[in-house]
Amino acid sequence: MNKNTTTEQFACLVNRRDFIKLSGGAVALLANGTLTSDVFAARQSRNPKPKNILLIITDQQHIDTIAAGGCRHVRTPALDRLKTSGVSFTQSYSANPVCSPARSCVFTGRTSSETAVYVNGRPIRSDIPNLGQWFSQQTDYETFYAGKWHLPRTYTSNIPGFNVINTGIGGFGYLCDTVMSRACEGFLRNRSKSKPFLLAASFMQPHDICEWLRLNMDNPQEIRYPQLAGKFPELPDNFEFDENEPGVIRKRRLGNEPFKGKWNKEQWRYYLWSYYRNIEYVDAEIGRVLKALEDCGYIKDTLIVLTSDHGEGLAHHQMVRKNTLYDEAARVPLLFSWPGHIPENRTDTTHLASGLDIMPTLCDYAGIRPPKNMRGRSLRSILEGRFAPTDNFIVTEVSSNTGRMVRTPSFKYITYKDDSVEQFFDMRTDPGETKNLAASSRYASALAEHRKMLRDWESRLDVPSSIPNANVWRTVGG
Amino acid sequence: MAKKKQRTIVGSPLTPTLLDELGALSESPPSSEDFKPDGNWVNTYRIWTCHGYRESGNDNVGFLRIRRLIDSHRSLTLKVHQEVLQTDALVNIVEATIDCRDNQLASPIQWKVSSRFRGADGKYISELSSNDNGVAAERLDRSTGDWCLFEAVQRLKISKETVLSFDMLEGLSLLKKGQRLSYSGLTKTKICNEEIPLHCFVQLGNGILPTEYWLDEHHRLLMVTSMNKAYILDDKAEKVIK
Repeated sequence: MNKNTTTEQFACLVNRRDFIKLSGGAVALLANGTLTSDVFAARQSRNPKPKNILLIITDQQHIDTIAAGGCRHVRTPALDRLKTSGVSFTQSYSANPVCSPARSCVFTGRTSSETAVYVNGRPIRSDIPNLGQWFSQQTDYETFYAGKWHLPRTYTSNIPGFNVINTGIGGFGYLCDTVMSRACEGFLRNRSKSKPFLLAASFMQPHDICEWLRLNMDNPQEIRYPQLAGKFPELPDNFEFDENEPGVIRKRRLGNEPFKGKWNKEQWRYYLWSYYRNIEYVDAEIGRVLKALEDCGYIKDTLIVLTSDHGEGLAHHQMVRKNTLYDEAARVPLLFSWPGHIPENRTDTTHLASGLDIMPTLCDYAGIRPPKNMRGRSLRSILEGRFAPTDNFIVTEVSSNTGRMVRTPSFKYITYKDDSVEQFFDMRTDPGETKNLAASSRYASALAEHRKMLRDWESRLDVPSSIPNANVWRTVGG
Repeated sequence: MAKKKQRTIVGSPLTPTLLDELGALSESPPSSEDFKPDGNWVNTYRIWTCHGYRESGNDNVGFLRIRRLIDSHRSLTLKVHQEVLQTDALVNIVEATIDCRDNQLASPIQWKVSSRFRGADGKYISELSSNDNGVAAERLDRSTGDWCLFEAVQRLKISKETVLSFDMLEGLSLLKKGQRLSYSGLTKTKICNEEIPLHCFVQLGNGILPTEYWLDEHHRLLMVTSMNKAYILDDKAEKVIK
């Protein structure tokens, strides 16, 4: 890539959240991504509002786990239905691929460093409203919550801004999700149809793979169930890993069960097979909720959004679980469905999306302004095909505020605090992230531009000084 | 700074021996000498879950009671009562009455199932209740339910040749196709310092993780293990909730 091209690209990227070109003329956005008053009013008058909103969150769902999306290893009728009835993003990223931090981003539209949920089990900063609080104040939607919260308690009957209809069971996805989906079913079947609702149904699965790893760490040397021989998925193309990765990644890998248990390839493949069964578990429970939604006549009036807090390593780079910035952990499903309003069966492979976009998108659909300082943007116009932004980038945080990723349409830049090893991948030619280009002189200018992009992004954030490394990212690479 | 508690990863799948090691079995299994798999009986199971560590995070979360009733026409009915305890003392109660065929799989013919929630104050939350009635439509002989399997497995022939293929209606509501149940063998298992021979059947299929059914020599189902969850025959299981 020559420097001029990269510079032009960068000029677009840094403007992404300030200006978006609209068909028929340019309309200004405020610096925080919200529309000016007159534009906002004009848009709302022509934008219908869904009667109800269902936000489905899964836990630890790798993006390639939907049969209708091409995954050959699962049967997922419910996820298939959601995917084919709406728009799905293939370049959708968690804002922080760890449970609590990611959830804080989804529910506030602010980065995890801003919400102060930089690790698991911390509460959202009290001056930042969550989705339930904002909708309760600004809309006529009644707000309900079922399942995993994790901000800070994993399960609780007390969530600000929400009526909690179901709490769940600490850590056990299978039982938890069954009970939770039954509660959602009861809620939908008994509810008066007169009042609109926002229901967040937060499933625990396929997170049970964490327990599976601990209960299958020791390599048995032979398959426990000989009947399964020949049925395990193949290992991914990027199963091998780069010995010169950042230290935090190497350390994490060595601490994971496959390395402690000295797994052979067959055990890795058994892990993949087991993960897909957990996907099928949650698919069935989602199916119960969708069936109730349909039986009760809600489905045509309900905007359904499905995402996950983070992905799953799934043997790529010989990683399991989350907390890395490789695509397998960082990318998540993001599906939107609203019959008659969102096109059916459309896969968006172009636009980068983030968990940070969910809050402003839901506010847009509800006909309200989002809270101030949104770090994401509404995806509504993209979903409805009305116009396409010409530029795009997202930032993801990780590892207790010690890691950052900048993803642009062509590249991914990853850096960790106090680690001289940066990673820079050309995602067009190397989607498996196997060739680190950070040391290549050919990409030096592009790398520098991504560093600057990160600095500029960070300079706009409102990170409390009490957060570890609060200011370190404003000087990265500088 | 508080010292982080050391936790040991369990490392291997749950088995009766491992359940004993992890403290999930408080006492020896109930006596089964008079147990007749094809008679009238009640089996109550404690539902125990495992976080994957030896020292912590493992807990009883509820119970499942299955009552088998037969009438003079050999018609088979199962009455199911399950309670699962959740955070902040919320309890989910699922009850079902299932009329089954008297076949190998106890295939459901028709059923009623209800789900209710009880709050910490002991009152039922009517807004979350649901009821469903169902009638089996097709492939009657090749379908079953997860609760029906708890009954049916006790009547199966203990033989390596026992292999059943079927579709399963989980909780009488979620269809999981392509299941296979087979006998995997006899193991002498040490439980509560007693050596007990246990027969094991294994279920594999779509939408589930491998599930192992452990039967004593009287064909009574003592335990069911599946990944991080175990159903353990326990006459006092209902105390978990109370």
